[in-house]
Amino acid sequence: MNTISHHLTDETIQDYSAGVLNAPMETLIACHLTLCPICRQRAELADAIGGLSLGDGATVSMNVTAQDVIALDKANPVTGDVPQTPVASGAGVPNPLARLLPSPLHELPWKTFGPGMKQYNLGTLPRKEGAFKLISLDPGSRMSKHTHEHRELTFIVSGSYSDELGKFKAGDIADLSADHHHTPHVDSDIPCISLIATDAPVKFEGLFGKIVQPFVGI
Amino acid sequence: MQKKLLQSAKAPDEAAQALTQRMRDNLVAIGKYRDEAAFQDLYAHFSGRIKSFLMGKGTQESVAEELTQEIMLIVWRRAESYNPDKAAPSTWLFTIARNRRTDYLRGHSRIEVELDDEMLEIDDSRPTQEEQVGLLQQSQKLELALNKLPQEQRQVVHLSYFRGKSHGAIAQWLDLPVGTVKSRIRLAMQSIRSELVSKEIK
Repeated sequence: MNTISHHLTDETIQDYSAGVLNAPMETLIACHLTLCPICRQRAELADAIGGLSLGDGATVSMNVTAQDVIALDKANPVTGDVPQTPVASGAGVPNPLARLLPSPLHELPWKTFGPGMKQYNLGTLPRKEGAFKLISLDPGSRMSKHTHEHRELTFIVSGSYSDELGKFKAGDIADLSADHHHTPHVDSDIPCISLIATDAPVKFEGLFGKIVQPFVGI
Repeated sequence: MQKKLLQSAKAPDEAAQALTQRMRDNLVAIGKYRDEAAFQDLYAHFSGRIKSFLMGKGTQESVAEELTQEIMLIVWRRAESYNPDKAAPSTWLFTIARNRRTDYLRGHSRIEVELDDEMLEIDDSRPTQEEQVGLLQQSQKLELALNKLPQEQRQVVHLSYFRGKSHGAIAQWLDLPVGTVKSRIRLAMQSIRSELVSKEIK
């Protein structure tokens, strides 16, 4: 049984339920929800509140009738497409992430950005709109102190790290607000691989951070 | 003592409960028998609300009409997968409407947990909310809990679902610090959760 100690915040679950987050954030949240029955139940409760809001809400008239919809169904029979099992599936990677990977984690074309630090970019958005990537840090690595302009979600895929907030292990999520500064260091004896999604670039502090910033690009 | 207080606070709304039950029966009948009369009844209740819900998020009327038609087509086709023990009909329709809107806005599907994922962690030791209170009662209690929230907390919940705003955008819209909006959401969720649990146990 997995033991999750760091969960999603209520406001992130609310935003996820309302459907106002981008695809990278949704992917990361779905990974955590796969491993965390507690947050899954909280998300179901948020959906139930969404349902009540819908059921109690105002109504407007529809031109299309129920009969039209049934006729539409008869005229356009469905051809079901069965979703494929992702290639990276089962290797400790939940499906929402595995679907985005061309190979298992260790075979990815990682790019080194510092000693013991490499990344694999998943994002297709321009950098200023945020980042979406896997980061792999060797045991003992220490990230430069950094902060975020908006929101950063980190999902730990394997290994662990510790920072000012405690120890983060596989399955945990770090749901950080904009004003949070942290200095994570890897304390597992295997590399710590994490999935990161932000909705704005990360700002590094200190000299090393300034040097690394252009290469990390998070 | 606690139970008495809560019971006297508000009598259960039997009409609302009957409606939830009827919509639930409708969905089950559609799933099992392709019952067209049941679909018409469900459609009469939900289609206009879904359209209104989409328009509230800034979708223009003609698009909202078309999306609602597609959403109701999905409901008709997938009613078999509706589990009456798992979710209220309104919850199920809400998730379909939300997901279809996401597909429309960005051209690919919302990303969700896959229930057949071999990584899926299931905790049998925790009773589900449904097991704790029963599904119909849960809807009922949830509604009462929502109605009891202070106005400022209900407002953020409302803006979230009806205007499709993130908590950051709600803060801007209301001209409030983000921290204030976050704490309102947290307080709202805490009191709803404790309401759902306490009523059954005490």
